[in-house]
Amino acid sequence: MERKDFKRISPYIHEIPKDFRPDMRVPARFYADGELLDMALGDKSLDQLVNTATMPGIVKYALAMPDIHQGYGFPIGGVIATALPDGVISPGGVGYDINCGVRLLATHLHREELAPYLSELATVLQMNCPSGVGQGGKIHLKKQELDQLVEQGGQWALKRGYATEMDLERTEENGRLPGADASKVSDRAKKRGLDQIGTLGSGNHFIEVDVVDEIFYEKAAQRMGLFPGQIVVQIHCGSRGFGHQICTDYVKSFQKSIRQYGITLPDRELVCAPLSSPEGQDYLAAMKAAANYAFVNRQVLTYLIRQSFEQVLAGTGVRDTVYQIYDIAHNMAKIETHEVEGKQMALCVHRKGATRAFGPGSPVLPDAYRDIGQPVLVPGSMGTASWVLVGTEKSMAQSFGSTCHGAGRTMSRSQAKRTIRGSELREELEADGIHIRAGSMAGLAEEAPTAYKDVDRVIEVVHEAGIAKKVARIVPVAVVKG
Amino acid sequence: MANYEIVDHTADWALRVWGRDLADLLLQAAFGMNSLMVGEGTPLELVEPSPELVEPSPELVEPSPELVETFPELVEGYGSSRSLTLDADDQETLLVDWLSELAYFAEMEQLIFPLITLTNVTPTHLDAQIRGGIVPELAKHIKAVTYHNLEIIKTADGLEATIVFDV
Repeated sequence: MERKDFKRISPYIHEIPKDFRPDMRVPARFYADGELLDMALGDKSLDQLVNTATMPGIVKYALAMPDIHQGYGFPIGGVIATALPDGVISPGGVGYDINCGVRLLATHLHREELAPYLSELATVLQMNCPSGVGQGGKIHLKKQELDQLVEQGGQWALKRGYATEMDLERTEENGRLPGADASKVSDRAKKRGLDQIGTLGSGNHFIEVDVVDEIFYEKAAQRMGLFPGQIVVQIHCGSRGFGHQICTDYVKSFQKSIRQYGITLPDRELVCAPLSSPEGQDYLAAMKAAANYAFVNRQVLTYLIRQSFEQVLAGTGVRDTVYQIYDIAHNMAKIETHEVEGKQMALCVHRKGATRAFGPGSPVLPDAYRDIGQPVLVPGSMGTASWVLVGTEKSMAQSFGSTCHGAGRTMSRSQAKRTIRGSELREELEADGIHIRAGSMAGLAEEAPTAYKDVDRVIEVVHEAGIAKKVARIVPVAVVKG
Repeated sequence: MANYEIVDHTADWALRVWGRDLADLLLQAAFGMNSLMVGEGTPLELVEPSPELVEPSPELVEPSPELVETFPELVEGYGSSRSLTLDADDQETLLVDWLSELAYFAEMEQLIFPLITLTNVTPTHLDAQIRGGIVPELAKHIKAVTYHNLEIIKTADGLEATIVFDV
């Protein structure tokens, strides 16, 4: 694929026409500036985007966000919507880490107030919030409790005292996707999920203490309670082994479904089933269970973060409460209503490394946010800025209420490991005043900022294209990594 | 000799694997994934905590008090020797299932199996005897084995496949 294969729709939208490949059912669109387009042409991510344009039942266009990078099956940063009832649902279009997402918590503290305790806070956060490969948490569930947890989601956390009403109100779907069915989840997935609630995992997952660096949209920032110099906390993680196994199980069983329903695909990882089929409904119910697991996982981590703040600040005279700004998924399939060719249609919106970004007036938003739009949380690469945005009318009209989810990788993990030493990177970040607590130095190197695109540039594209609006830029002061 | 290599992939990890036949390919893929999990370039013998763990003898069936203390939850995996039987619809699915089993043991029990005997291998079936032990720390968490562009292809020397892992 080359640059000449793209038609420029607007300064920030590039389209691959439907006739580019005979198996495309719709065109593919990529939100990018010229440089990000050239970067994306450097790997297979745009071929993967074109592959998603072949999914049965897809409407309008296959979309990619400016943070696109090569995944498996779908590209990371991809959005597609299929029409109910017979459009397909694809486990690969959600990914293995179902409801991987971001939660933003805020404090009332100015950075100066926390500075003397920051190093200790980083250490305590690492101690209290288990991370690493297969690391178990402090909550050990029995199978029956796990079934309740995944069907009740946030409500389970509320009953157990891990959540407040306000936390749930400020979580996508109030932390509970209705229709989750534990009986559609394999025993192996449940076994993997039993003791991983309240754990970060490994890879690019983290807890980060940040400072609000700059405000861009005063009204929205005020509504969220954000001010310059304020200490906030981000959590990035998902449904752990429970979700990974559900995806593995259904990608396997859907290998048969595509033959049964006569679906031809360019990549076996794209396997799917019609939403109206028993297979499609089973996956949807299992996926929802994993989504609820992930909401509870981030909720229990929130509880542990609150405990950590209390523990560190006890007896110092500094008093605070940690409250929630929002929690949003970026690997999920959702049944939503959007306008297609002037008609309201029920669609299954797959967001794989893309964030829901509902505009002002959406009935699913809490009262406090209804007139500003849904908060969108976009973590940057480690050591660089992250962003708080809000959804817009344009994201509703153009991108199925979706926008970007991060910086997006440009360098492979093995290349990052070859060129960057974890220990040196840690020293550099510490020299910049960022406290690093990492389980593995090699893992740290793979997540080096130079392995990622510039998040500020990605944000500029979605802001200028109008599919999200900048609210605040935040910068890290302490990072806890798996 | 290692018959696998790590291939650059932007977001995840990929392995290219060669085998004389399907059984050899499955074996090399397991060795390659072991190497990813314990750390690239780490010789496999280093993952064996002690020879006793790899070669369980009758008097070592009871785990030592030290092991119980260090890994109380992993006692079950002590000196592990396991049998697996897998059936699949085609050879690519068999490969994914086989590696998924090994990734599962690694995640749940920190178990790595350097000694593998495969028998009765057909494109839709395998029997495996695997032996190994606990590693104190895994370098890489394999979340899942994907089907992305997965195809076992014939070459002049045998078979080849490229496997993408979600990490």
